[in-house]
Amino acid sequence: MSAIEQLTVELGKLPGIGRKTATRLTFHLLKQPRGAVESLARAIQAIVDRIAPCSTCGNFSEADPCSICSDSRRDRSMLCVVEEASDIEAIERSDEYRGLYHVLGGHLSPLDGIGPEDLRIDDLRRRVENGSGLREVIVATNPSMEGEVTATYLRGVLAPLGLRVTRIARGLPVGGDLEYADRSTIAQALVARREMTE
Amino acid sequence: MQLTDLTVRNFRNITSLDIELPEAGVVIIGANGQGKTNLLEAIYYLVLFRSFRGAKDRELVQFGAPGFFVGGSANTRVTAGYEVAGGRKKVTVDREPVRRLGAAVGRIVAVPFSPEDRGIVAGGPAGRRRYIDVLLSLSEPRYLVALSAMRVALKQRNAALRMGHGDTAQAFDTPFAEAAAIVLSTRMTWVERRTGRFRAICEALGEPEPAQLRYRRHGTKAEEEATDLRMLLASTIDRDLRRGTTTVGPHRDDLQLSLGDHSLQTYGSAGQQRTAAIALRLIEAETLAEATGQLPIGLYDDVFVELDDARQANLLTLIRDTLPGQAIVAAPRDSEVPPELFERPRWTMRGGKLET
Ligand SMILES: [Zn+2]
Repeated sequence: MSAIEQLTVELGKLPGIGRKTATRLTFHLLKQPRGAVESLARAIQAIVDRIAPCSTCGNFSEADPCSICSDSRRDRSMLCVVEEASDIEAIERSDEYRGLYHVLGGHLSPLDGIGPEDLRIDDLRRRVENGSGLREVIVATNPSMEGEVTATYLRGVLAPLGLRVTRIARGLPVGGDLEYADRSTIAQALVARREMTE
Repeated sequence: MQLTDLTVRNFRNITSLDIELPEAGVVIIGANGQGKTNLLEAIYYLVLFRSFRGAKDRELVQFGAPGFFVGGSANTRVTAGYEVAGGRKKVTVDREPVRRLGAAVGRIVAVPFSPEDRGIVAGGPAGRRRYIDVLLSLSEPRYLVALSAMRVALKQRNAALRMGHGDTAQAFDTPFAEAAAIVLSTRMTWVERRTGRFRAICEALGEPEPAQLRYRRHGTKAEEEATDLRMLLASTIDRDLRRGTTTVGPHRDDLQLSLGDHSLQTYGSAGQQRTAAIALRLIEAETLAEATGQLPIGLYDDVFVELDDARQANLLTLIRDTLPGQAIVAAPRDSEVPPELFERPRWTMRGGKLET
């Protein structure tokens, strides 16, 4: 396989990139100055070399624990549970939340073979059991069917541990991803969070 | 509602066809295998974007072709294309591509009458559920949304049950029960409202015994009467785990069709079953006409075959009264078509080509 073909195939594996777009990107890169392309290649290499999930919360980070987990100014009485590390970015942008996070790594989807043991739910339980001063867990999974179901499941796990379990309000369009919601929508969903009841 | 034009490419044995359709409809004569049923199937594809014969999209593509295309206008212009490579389906409404098929379903409304309809009455519950699901999806937008949500939740719940994860399965009880409640109540309301018409139409077709249409929930007596689906699911979780599937819910229910005290499925004669199937299509037409405010297009594939003269006359009267809109009638020979229908132009279908 030629170098051009190889890059096209690799780019085509990225989400939202079809074969046509992959080809266009490859030829675009071929026309760029050498320095610009090398800088892109170095940036890609750097995330492989330097970024790893935080062993506490699962956020992507250069340091372990990550900058949020190790920040003493964060409110340690609050824990926000999200599906993906990219959701942390979105919530941080809203400026409405100053607590800690926990990344599940997805949502329950038995059809895709994803059960509770495939998500970081045991880690979450341990964190809650050992976390002194933790008073509230905000479940911020996506408002899709699977996200809601995952929230219901987490409530069952967390409620017996005797702390407040809340769910972000349904201000987000159903089925929409937290990742793509705008700042004020996320802020409103956080402010209007409700106690999860059976 | 009238289909004014139709374009078909590489659909089964129809390579290329462009026609304009008369307002009253048309009679299409063609021996078996010449493509007249394929033509009706192509037209109905614009209603549901699926074959009414239950064929997969791939099977509709003419041998050797990369895909098929169907387009037609009835107030709105609807087109559907399918590409074998990648298995992609592209649907447009008034030249705008639609992202969700559900939003385009039912823009063109038609009712397909086919000799295979007897299978709805004579076959298993799945065919009858399909019948009611299609007609309610076309007549009530929220039904299709609820039905799709119910199916997704059901698939997830069953996958968890198969893995032996009871608590994960039960986490899907709420979305399943919420959607199932809408599906169930919509179906039951429809059946209750239509059972009288079903009886009247069977009688008008010449059936002396009283016909009945009832909704039959699956399960034990207590399960049938349960009003809270979430509680019902909770009570059957052990059985569901043992069987690895959700044992109660609208996905197991049935329509019960009977004549006097007898089940039509088990004891009906072929003639009685055919009469009941035609009655089902006619109440489908009535339901769609009421819901959309438009007369559906009638697609009649060989429906007059095997009806005696009296029943044939009765059927024609019923069609004139309940479905007097555009009629596209396909039959193997002139003699199979009641003379009254020859007010319409007659075309001939041979080897996938239409001679007009
Ligand atoms: Zn961290």
